[in-house]
Amino acid sequence: MGRQRNSHNGGTTANMKRILTVDDSSSVRQMVSFTLRKAGYEVAEAVDGKDGLGKISGGKFDLIITDLNMPNVDGIQLISAVRKLPGCNFVPILMLTTESQAEKKDAGRKAGATGWIVKPFNADQLIAAVQKLVK
Amino acid sequence: MKSAPNAAQRVVMITGTRAEAVEKLEKARGELQALGRATEGEMVVLARTFEALTSSTDAVLDLAATIVSSVENEAVCSALPKVRTLGAAAKRFVGEKVQATHGILETVTQEVHLLYELSVVSRSQRAIALQTRALSVLTNMEVARLGDAGTGFRYLAQELADFATSVTKDIQELADHTEARRAAIEETRQVLSTELPHLQDELARIESGLESALTVVDSSLTQLLTMPVQFKKSVQDIAQQIAGVVAAVQAHDITRQQIEHVEGALAAISSRLSGEGNSQEGIAQELPRAYAGLTIQIHQGRTIRQTVSSWVSQIRTCMDAIRRISASEVVGIAPAVLEQEQHISSHLSRIELLESESRAYSEKLQQSLGGLSHLMQLVTEHLQRTKSVRERLQLLAFNSIIEASRLGVQAAAVLAIAKRIEAISTSWSQITDQSACTMQEMLKLAEQTNQVMEAFSERSNQRLREAQLETRGGLDSLRSAAAFAAGQAEKMKLATEKMQAKIVKAGSTGDLLDACSGRFDLVLAEMEAVHRQLEIDDPQVKQRYDAAEIERLFSASYTTATEREVLQAALHGTPPPVVQQSFEGNSVELF
Repeated sequence: MGRQRNSHNGGTTANMKRILTVDDSSSVRQMVSFTLRKAGYEVAEAVDGKDGLGKISGGKFDLIITDLNMPNVDGIQLISAVRKLPGCNFVPILMLTTESQAEKKDAGRKAGATGWIVKPFNADQLIAAVQKLVK
Repeated sequence: MKSAPNAAQRVVMITGTRAEAVEKLEKARGELQALGRATEGEMVVLARTFEALTSSTDAVLDLAATIVSSVENEAVCSALPKVRTLGAAAKRFVGEKVQATHGILETVTQEVHLLYELSVVSRSQRAIALQTRALSVLTNMEVARLGDAGTGFRYLAQELADFATSVTKDIQELADHTEARRAAIEETRQVLSTELPHLQDELARIESGLESALTVVDSSLTQLLTMPVQFKKSVQDIAQQIAGVVAAVQAHDITRQQIEHVEGALAAISSRLSGEGNSQEGIAQELPRAYAGLTIQIHQGRTIRQTVSSWVSQIRTCMDAIRRISASEVVGIAPAVLEQEQHISSHLSRIELLESESRAYSEKLQQSLGGLSHLMQLVTEHLQRTKSVRERLQLLAFNSIIEASRLGVQAAAVLAIAKRIEAISTSWSQITDQSACTMQEMLKLAEQTNQVMEAFSERSNQRLREAQLETRGGLDSLRSAAAFAAGQAEKMKLATEKMQAKIVKAGSTGDLLDACSGRFDLVLAEMEAVHRQLEIDDPQVKQRYDAAEIERLFSASYTTATEREVLQAALHGTPPPVVQQSFEGNSVELF
C-alpha cells in the first residue's frame, strides 16, 4: 500500500475526487474509507443500497464502490437505480463482494457495474483501479 | 446385534430428545447472534484503533523522513571523503615533520663537523698571528740595529704588529661565535632527540588512530548513507503490514456473513425439528434433513473457526511488525546521526590539537636553526678579511725583499724575515682556501636546512588547515543534521509512545476476539453434541436423506465459494477447502 498524501489527487478538499462506499458492514466501510483517504480521496459512506441511493441523489460522486448482498436495496438494484439517475450514466461503479460466481458477475455487468472485486480487496490494487477510473 | 428402529420407534425416540435438541440449537443460534454482535463491535473498535495507529505511524514516518532527507543532504554525503582527505593530510603533516626532523638531525651533525673544521682553521690562523707578532718584534730589533739604513723597515714592523692584533681579534670573535653556535646546536640536538621519538609516537598513534577512526567513521557514515534505503524499505514493510490488516479486517466480514448463514440454517433446522404443524410421520422424515443440515453447519463452523484464527493471527502479526519496524530502524535514525557527528568531531579535535602542538615545535626549531645563517654571515666576513690579509702579507713580503736586497749584506736578517713573511703568506693562502671550502660546505648546509625546514613552514601547516576547514564544513552539515535529529527525537519519542499505546489497545481487542473464538468453540461443541445425539438415537440417519434436496435447502444463502465447497465436502465427502492462512487481498476485475 503506497504512502500517498492528499496532494496525490490535487491536494485540496475543493478539487479532491469524491468516492461513495456502500456496505452494510461498518468494518469494511472503514477499511475502504481508510485506504482511499490515505490515497488522497474524499470518501462518503452509506450503510445499504437505500442509504447509498439517497446520498447519490443528493450529491455528486466520481466513483461508487458497493457491496452486493445488503438489506433494503442490494448492490444490483442500487446500480440499476443509479444508472437511471440523470448524470450518473458514466459514473464508475465497482462491486466489492464475497461473491465470485460468474452468473453474479454477469448480473452485475448487465446492471451497469464497471468492475468486480472479491472481498478482501488488495489495497494497492484497489488504489490503482480507482486511479485508472477517476481522472 | 441392535436392529435399526422402525419409523414408529424413531418418532418415539425423537420425541424424547427433540425438545432438548431444539433448545440446544436455539441456544447455539442465540450465542452465534451475540457473538456476531460482539465481534462486529470489537472489529469496529479495532478498525478505529488501527486508523489511529496508522496515523501515529505516519507521524513517526514523517519525522523519520525529515531526518532522512537531512542526512541525504549533499554536504553530509561528502563528509566521508572530506574526513578521509583530512586523515591523509594529517598523516602527511606528521610524516613530513618526522622526515624533516631526521634531516635536521643530519644537518646538525654536519654542522658540528664544520664547526670543528672552523676551529682547526682558527687554530692555524692563531699560530700564524703569533709568528707574525714575533716577526714584528724581530723586525723592530733589526730596524734599531740598522739605524738610519733600517728606517724603511719600520713600516714593515708596524704592519706585522697590526696584522697580528687584527687577526687575533678576528679569530677570537669567530671562536666566541663558534662556541655559542656549538651550544645552540647542542640545544637543538637535544630538542630534536626529545621531539623525534615523540613525533614518531605521534605518527604511529595518528596512523593507527586514523586507521581505526576512519574505519569507524567510514562504516558509520556508510551506515548513515544507507539510512534512506533502509527507511524506504521500512516504509514499504509498514505499508505491506497495513495492507495485511486491511485485508484481515475484511476477512472478518466474510466470516461474519458465514456465521449469519450458519445462524439462519440453525433456525431452519430448529424449526423443522420442532415440527409445529407436522404429523409424527412428517417429523420423522425431517430428522435426516435436520441431521444433514447440522452436519453441514458443523463443517461450516469448523472452517469459520480456522479462518477466524487466521485473520486474528494476521492482525496480531501485522500490528506487531508495524510496532517492530517503527520502533527500530526508523526511530534509531536520530541517535545514529548524533553518534556519527560525535565520532567525527572528536577526530577533528585531535587533529586540531596536533596542529597547534606542531606549531610550537616549529617555532622552537626555526629559532634554533636560524643561528646558522648568523654564523654564515660571520664566516663570510672573516673569509673576506682573511683574503685581504693574504694580499697585504704578499705585498709586504715583496716590498721587504726588494728593500733588503738593495741594502745588501747588512740587511740579511731583514731579508730572512721578508722571506719568512712570504712563507707565512703562502700558508695563509692555504688556510684561506680551506676556509673557502668550509664556507662552501656551510652554504650547502644552509640550503639543505632551508629545504628540510620547509616541512615546518607555514605552507605545510596551511595544507592541513585547509583540509581541516573543508572537513569542518562537512561536519557542520552533519552537525546540523544531528541537531535536527536531536530536535526531532523528542517528537519521535512522543509519536512512538502514541503508536505503542495504540498497539496495546489493538492487542486487548485481539484478546477479546480470542475470547469470542473460545465462545464460538463452545457453540460448535454444542452443535456437535446434538449431532452425536441424533446419530445415537438413529444410527441409520446418515443414510436417509437426499443430498440434492439438502444442497438446495441450505446453499441458497451462500455467498462465498468456500461455503459451497464446504457444503460439497460435508455432503459428498469431497476434499474440504484449504483454509486461507494469510489474506493478501484480491485484485480488481474491470469489465
